[in-house]
Parts: sequence; structure tokens; C-alpha cells
Amino acid sequence: MRLRVLGAALAATLVIASSLLAAAAFAGASHKQRPRLTVFAAASLTNVFPQIDSRARYSFGGSNMLAAQIEQGLPADVFASANTGLPWQLRRKGLVTRPVVFTSNKLVIVIAHGNPLHLHNVHDLERQGIKIVMAAAGVPVGDYTRKVLKRLGLSDLVDKAVSQETDVREVLSKVVLGEADAGFVYATDAKTVKGTVGVMGLPKSAQPRVLYAAAAVKSSKHLRAAKAWVQRLLTKRAQTKLRAAGFLPIPR
Amino acid sequence: MFAATAVALAFLLLPIVAIFARVSPGELVAQLSRSVVTDALVVSLKTSAIAQALVLLLGTPTAYLLATRRFRGRSFMVVLVELPLVLPPAVAGIGLIAAFGRFGLLGEQLNAFGIQLGLTQAAVVIAVAYVSSPLYIRQAIATFEGIDPNLVAASRTLGAGPARTFFRVVLPLSRRGLAAGEALAFARGLGEFGATIMFAGSLQGVTQTLPLAIYQEFNADFTTALAMSALLVVVSGALLVALRLTLQWQPSKPTSRFLFAPSR
Repeated sequence: MRLRVLGAALAATLVIASSLLAAAAFAGASHKQRPRLTVFAAASLTNVFPQIDSRARYSFGGSNMLAAQIEQGLPADVFASANTGLPWQLRRKGLVTRPVVFTSNKLVIVIAHGNPLHLHNVHDLERQGIKIVMAAAGVPVGDYTRKVLKRLGLSDLVDKAVSQETDVREVLSKVVLGEADAGFVYATDAKTVKGTVGVMGLPKSAQPRVLYAAAAVKSSKHLRAAKAWVQRLLTKRAQTKLRAAGFLPIPR
Repeated sequence: MFAATAVALAFLLLPIVAIFARVSPGELVAQLSRSVVTDALVVSLKTSAIAQALVLLLGTPTAYLLATRRFRGRSFMVVLVELPLVLPPAVAGIGLIAAFGRFGLLGEQLNAFGIQLGLTQAAVVIAVAYVSSPLYIRQAIATFEGIDPNLVAASRTLGAGPARTFFRVVLPLSRRGLAAGEALAFARGLGEFGATIMFAGSLQGVTQTLPLAIYQEFNADFTTALAMSALLVVVSGALLVALRLTLQWQPSKPTSRFLFAPSR
């Protein structure tokens, strides 16, 4: 009797397991046309890219680190950078296809929530004892930061920074955690932590042109799919998601 | 069996050989004179020296107490002391921010004294001391436990006080074991990365240690990153050789079962 129960349980388990397997295989087959791509993308795209394509594998980081990794032969299918310089640099080395500008952004200053230090504009950062963080030179947001400060005649703030971070999200987290008083990030990064930090704008005249460009990596095993992925960033659906996250339209 | 050994050895050695194979020795040396390298070297040595002094100063009595006293909760304390050893560096980083950061558990008290640790050189020292002290303490406990208690008892009956006994009998007998533990702690601290970049940030000449500089230069100049890596390989290798020699000289029972290889 007991044996029979056991046998029935075993059979049931087998049936369930095999049907699960079949379902998984079927699901796999239906995706066959679209290979799973590996996308190297700027840290500022961390929240929005998975909304545009949840299936891709992402590696987010400073665009300059990702470019260095692609140069060292790490297997990426798509490279999405927070500037146009890096993808064009790879393009000239024959490593990627022609870069496509797909969105833009602007720089802001994030400050502690509730503004306990009463910072009102970028010039207040000159005050003694204000801990500033920014990204290092070479990281796109770090270069933009230097450009803005130069235009405002505040280049000395670069030397005042207490840390030079390797990507924009590390700048953001130093302010979110309260270890720094102010950090230079993109408006979209500030939006991801709305309510936990304050945001200070920068004069429009000092804003750099922050253009995002993507390209397919030529050594990709799925080059066609990678090129299509880059083009997908220009579709209305992708652009709507970008806009919702605070990214700006491609300037004409 | 031999094939497996050959594969394992090749696997462990190849990345190290590759560091030296990619650029000529002359170029490696030339890269080492760049300011980003020399600044990082100074920061690394300075923070390591302070951190290791703290480790020795606080770790030695702790280890001696744990090795010689039997009390309730002792094993639990030993586990606590060893915990940072197995913690992922990222967890250590989060923990340090949560404890000593401006909004951390002790943040307010520290702030009251005008002390802000985050993103300062002191934060590097704390991170290095935190991740490397367990290696030293662990080894020190094993060393103190290996000392013949009769010698300590003899010293006491001959009229030496506990302090005198410790400095004149225990310490000389255990100096090789302690040196070995300290070498390991130093090597581990020198390689500290995760907790440092999270808690101390990265600023050339202030908080940017060699590993952090390697990470930054990887994005900028791969050759410089290689050169600094080569430097760390040489230093770590030298430490390991020194450690082996120290332990070989040791006449008492081997302590190598307590040795851990430094990780990131």
C-alpha cells in the first residue's frame, strides 16, 4: 500500500518536472530569434535600460572603464556611453560600429536633504568646510563637471573635492549616505533618489552638451542583433521610457 | 595527479606572469615614477603603517587574553574577532559607513568632537585595520597558545609580575609567530580595496591607495595599472617569502594551519 503511494508520488513528480522542463524549453525556443545581449552601459543608465529591455545582461559603470574593458577584449555586444568621445575613440580603432546619439542629459548638484548647510547656488560650494565629491577626469561626468566649473570660473573647486569617484553613481551615493555635502551628478541620477537628497541647478549658460551615444561592438557574436538593439533606443517606446526617467530629447 | 597539479599551478601562476609579460621591465620601471603611482605608494605605506601599529597595539593584548584565559563566551569572542576575515569587503565598507559615517551609529558623537571620518585618510586607516586585524589576532592567539605554560609559571614563581613575564618571557618566545601574523595582516591591508573605496573614497595623494590607483588607471592608462600591479606582486611575494623563512626558523610547533592567504 505504502509502496503504491510512493510510486504515485514519484510518477506525479516526474510528470510535473517534465512538463516544467518542456515549458522552459518552449519559452527558450520562442526567444531564439532574439539572442540575449550583453550591454555595457554608463552608470547613469542603470535604472532606465532594464525598463527598455529587461532581457539583456547589463554591466553598468563609468563609460571610460567600460571602453577600457572593450579595448581589452571583454565580450560586450553593445556599448552605451555618457559621451560621444569614447565610442568614437573605439570607432576609430575599428572596435565598434558608427555611434548613434540616443539621448541627452544635464548636470545638477545634489546636496543633503533639508539643506542643513544652506547652500543656494554653486558659488556657495566655495565656502570653507564644504565637502564636495565629483567623478575623476576621464569619467564623462567628471569631464562635464570640470567644463562647467571652468565656465563659471570655479575651477579651484576641482582641487577642493574630497574624492574623485569612478562613476556618477558613486558620487551620488556619497551624498545620499551623507559622507559628502555636495556632488556633481546628472539630473536623472538625482531623480532616482528623489526625496532623500536636495537638488541645486546650474546656470543654463554653463551647462555642457551631455550627449549619450551607443554603438554595436564589432566582435559581437550577435552583431546584427546588437545593431538592432542600438536602433531600438531611437524608437518611440524607448524614448518615452528615457523621457520618463528624466533624460532629455536628442538636440537637433 | 601530476596533470592536475600542473594545471592548478599554471592557473595560479599565469595571471602573475601575464602582468610582467605585457610590458617590458624598463617601461614598468619608467611608469613607476609617475605621480599617480608615487602618491599612491606613499598613501598606501602611510596608512598601512598607522593601521598596523594599531593592529599590533590593540590586537596583541586581545589575542593574549583570548589565548590564556578561559571564560564564558570566549569561543564566541574568537568567532567575532575572526568575522571580518570572511566578510566580503563590500559588506565591510557598508558596515564601516553605517558605524562611523556621518549618519552612522557613532556619527553624531564623532561629529560633536568635530570628527568626520568618511572620505578622509583616517577612513583608509580604519578600513585597512578592520580587514587586516583578524589575520594578526588569529595567528597571535595560536602563537600564545603554543607557549609552554610551565615557562610562564616558572617566571611567575621566580618573582616576575605578569607584565614583566609578558614582556620578558611570552613576547620573546612568540615573536616569530607574531611577525608571521603581522606579515599576513600587512599584505592583506596593502591589498584592501572594497571597504576603502566605499568608506574613504578615492583622491590622489590622500585616500587613493595602490589598489585604488590601479582601478583608476585601468580606465586611463593600462600600462601604469600593469606597473603598479607588478609592484604589488613583488611586495606581496617578498612578504610571503619573509613569512616562510620566519616560520621555518621557528622551533616550536608549526602554526601554519592558521595561516590564510590574503584576499582582496
